[in-house]
Amino acid sequence: MTLSLRQIPRPLLLGGLLIGASLVLAVFPATFAPYDPVAMDYNALMHAPSWAHPMGTDNFGRDVLSRVIHAYTIDMQIAFFGTIFSFSFGIVIGALVGYAGGLADTIFGRIVDAVITFPFLVLVIAIVSVLGPGLVNMYVALAVVGWVFYARIIAAEVKVQKRLDYADAGRAMGYTPMRVIFRHLLPNAITPAIVYLVTDMALAILLGSSLGYLGLGAQPPTAEWGVQIADGKNFMTTGWWISVFPGVAIVLTGLGFSLIGDGLAEVLRTRK
Amino acid sequence: MTPALQVRHLSTTFGHHGTPVTAVDDISFDVMPGEVLGLVGESGSGKSVTLRSIMRLMPHHSAVTGSVLWQGCDLMTMTEAELRRVRGGEISMIFQEPGTALNPVLPVRVQIEENLRAHTELSAAGRAARCLELMDLVGIPDAKRRLTQYPHQFSGGMRQRVMIAIALASNPKLLLADEPTTALDVTIQDQILKLILDLRDELAMSVVFVTHDLGVVAATCDRMAVMYAGRIVESGPVPAVFAQPNHAYTRGLLGSVPRSGTERSPLLSIEGTPPGLTSRPAGCAFHPRCAFATDLCRRESPALQDRAAGQAAACFHSDRVIAAGLAGS
Amino acid sequence: MSLFFLRRLIQLIPTLAFILVVVFVLVRLLPGDPTSAILGDRALDADVARINHDLGLDRSIPVQFVLFLKAVATGNLGNSITLKLPVTTLIAQRLPVTVMLTVMAALMSLVMAVPLAFVAALRRDELADSAIRGTFQVGLSMPVFYLGLILLTVFGARLGWFPVGGYGDSFGEHIYHLFLPAFTLALSLAAILMRNLRAAIIGVVGAEYVVFARSKGIMPGVILMRHVLRSALISTVSLFGLSVGTLLGGAVITETVFAIPGAGRLMIDSIYGRDYPVVQGMTMALAVVVSLTFFLTDVVEAWLDPRVAR
Repeated sequence: MTLSLRQIPRPLLLGGLLIGASLVLAVFPATFAPYDPVAMDYNALMHAPSWAHPMGTDNFGRDVLSRVIHAYTIDMQIAFFGTIFSFSFGIVIGALVGYAGGLADTIFGRIVDAVITFPFLVLVIAIVSVLGPGLVNMYVALAVVGWVFYARIIAAEVKVQKRLDYADAGRAMGYTPMRVIFRHLLPNAITPAIVYLVTDMALAILLGSSLGYLGLGAQPPTAEWGVQIADGKNFMTTGWWISVFPGVAIVLTGLGFSLIGDGLAEVLRTRK
Repeated sequence: MTPALQVRHLSTTFGHHGTPVTAVDDISFDVMPGEVLGLVGESGSGKSVTLRSIMRLMPHHSAVTGSVLWQGCDLMTMTEAELRRVRGGEISMIFQEPGTALNPVLPVRVQIEENLRAHTELSAAGRAARCLELMDLVGIPDAKRRLTQYPHQFSGGMRQRVMIAIALASNPKLLLADEPTTALDVTIQDQILKLILDLRDELAMSVVFVTHDLGVVAATCDRMAVMYAGRIVESGPVPAVFAQPNHAYTRGLLGSVPRSGTERSPLLSIEGTPPGLTSRPAGCAFHPRCAFATDLCRRESPALQDRAAGQAAACFHSDRVIAAGLAGS
Repeated sequence: MSLFFLRRLIQLIPTLAFILVVVFVLVRLLPGDPTSAILGDRALDADVARINHDLGLDRSIPVQFVLFLKAVATGNLGNSITLKLPVTTLIAQRLPVTVMLTVMAALMSLVMAVPLAFVAALRRDELADSAIRGTFQVGLSMPVFYLGLILLTVFGARLGWFPVGGYGDSFGEHIYHLFLPAFTLALSLAAILMRNLRAAIIGVVGAEYVVFARSKGIMPGVILMRHVLRSALISTVSLFGLSVGTLLGGAVITETVFAIPGAGRLMIDSIYGRDYPVVQGMTMALAVVVSLTFFLTDVVEAWLDPRVAR
């Protein structure tokens, strides 16, 4: 079934526009950024927004707009790598657990209970503190904790699908359990996990920028929104633009992802 | 004798994706004091919507027109405050699914008491005593303990008794019963029906009984009105309608119920399914399923017209229907 | 009810045990190792051996686990490397601050979410609904450190209505100092709760038992409070419980932004200072707080919904 433009829910359309624009900026930052994001201009320290620098300059004379644009590359990458590993491990483990049921399901249930008892951010921060700060370690930490949520969604969904006729038919035709799980059950169970993935991307950006702000994620002088906000936090009264504009980028991107998530959920609901 | 309730030209439409659909289409009927009126029809015929429209309980996106005269006052034009006095006080309602109509998170006592609080001047002690009395009235043993329990701790039949107790709390003059026995086991059904009839006699109230079960109508009702696709297609005293249906639809309905004391004959059944809300056919809504249908039926919608024996029918071919009788065709 | 309470209390035991296991696994089995995290890459072998010994990392894993359990059981979570104080003492000092911040934020989010959810649900698809949902949608996408920084600058530094940091000395001062941080934390939770509660209210308003209640002729206020709100709150309460983890995570950041001497701030400082035992102890303490909250919200849920407490 194809959707005509009018039928696309408004949140999906708006979110799609926001994220589409974000992706373009993320892939071609140099095309849009007027300056080099790390070039320091000591003749233009802490300049307020002007025609030359629409978002002003920071305390090193770097152009804030160019840094915000270049940060799209990093932050969109966080949205992707911060979720894709959780998603991949989660759906595989969830499918296996859902199919196997019984003891595997019980053990999995305990793991879920254990993980949700820890504040997500605290656990991620604790893991990053063991591994050391940096983006790669942050991705590892997110994957270590995040897969549980995807697995829980898929396991529940597979348990439902397993009882339907076509799964029996697959078994009756002599397909191996693996084939039944990954060719038949998983594709039918995956939509809610994909909706969650989109919403999770918004969370990953919030979390990635938070760790950047705390100095545990992307490391300066990399242009990343959280890092930029941290850079400007001591100049809020004298140079608000250093921190405020990167924050706007976070809000818009996070909003984009969560609108797409809401829109997708709406489309799926009305189709049912 | 003046009717207790007079429904005139009641119509209910829903806003359904822009184009309104009509669930109840210009129906009129009377309920006499102490009378049990059966409102019969298949699901989707508009019986339940009729009851809820009378009480103005329809959701916001629907529109109700017409008038419902209750003791000289029109329920449709009353203020909310006036309506609250009637609702649950003079006119009570019981629902099909006691499992969903009782609030699962409140003890039964609270749900009975809130009716008493709204419609009586009883003190707390008086209300407590009345709660016990009501539980006895509807035949729930061990009332004192059961009042503190929650709906999920009752069986289906007992829950329906609770709902009846709530409905009767303030001695209503009219009970609107929306398929009160459909969700129950057959043996429990009989008990609940008997209870409602006994209470009708005891409290001298009128009852409008919505059901799709003709057996229930035969056992409980004085008069009946048959609904099809939002309209009343036939009405009259129960014995008369059962003896001689004037509308092809009624004939089909009666023919699909096995009757005792008649010759063995093949059961009539009605081919097809009733039309959905959005796909009502032109002319008489029943014509696609009717063996008596002619071009006239496909073109024009018949009005409800008085017939013999206090009956009325909305059918161009009542005479042919009567002539065909109830034997299998 | 009391039986449910007891059973739920017993269920806390395995949860607490799991918390210990996860914390233990976190330290020993992850690819990084705390010793080099503490000492940095250019540490002397002798120092590495000493720290390894201090942390018990030179024993076999099962032995370490037994020692770890024994230490926890005797209330010994090790000593802070930088502050030279027992971790338990630090928890006792700092955790109450974080708990107070979180409780304030939770209350504020309820105060915001419940009335607005009612307005949004009852004025569904009207202007008020769109405005409330739009505002919260943006609030939900706003990271706490950013919102905190802006509020701190505007209401603390610029307008001077609130202190720009610290915790104060009396209960009244605590509340005054924590007002902005708690509001910062509350906004995103309020957004989540409002959304859930709005959907729940819309569902409940159309429920048969609400129609039946209306058919009894009782006052609309009674219907809303007794029939609609109570039922709608049930799902929101469990969501609220599940969100406390997020709230505590947010508290860690908020405390850093507002310079509040709480557990979260200490945890971040300890990470910078590579004070490993403190990070471990705080992680454990925060998880215990969450599991106790789960317990409390379950009890509230059972109180709201008698079907749960069977």
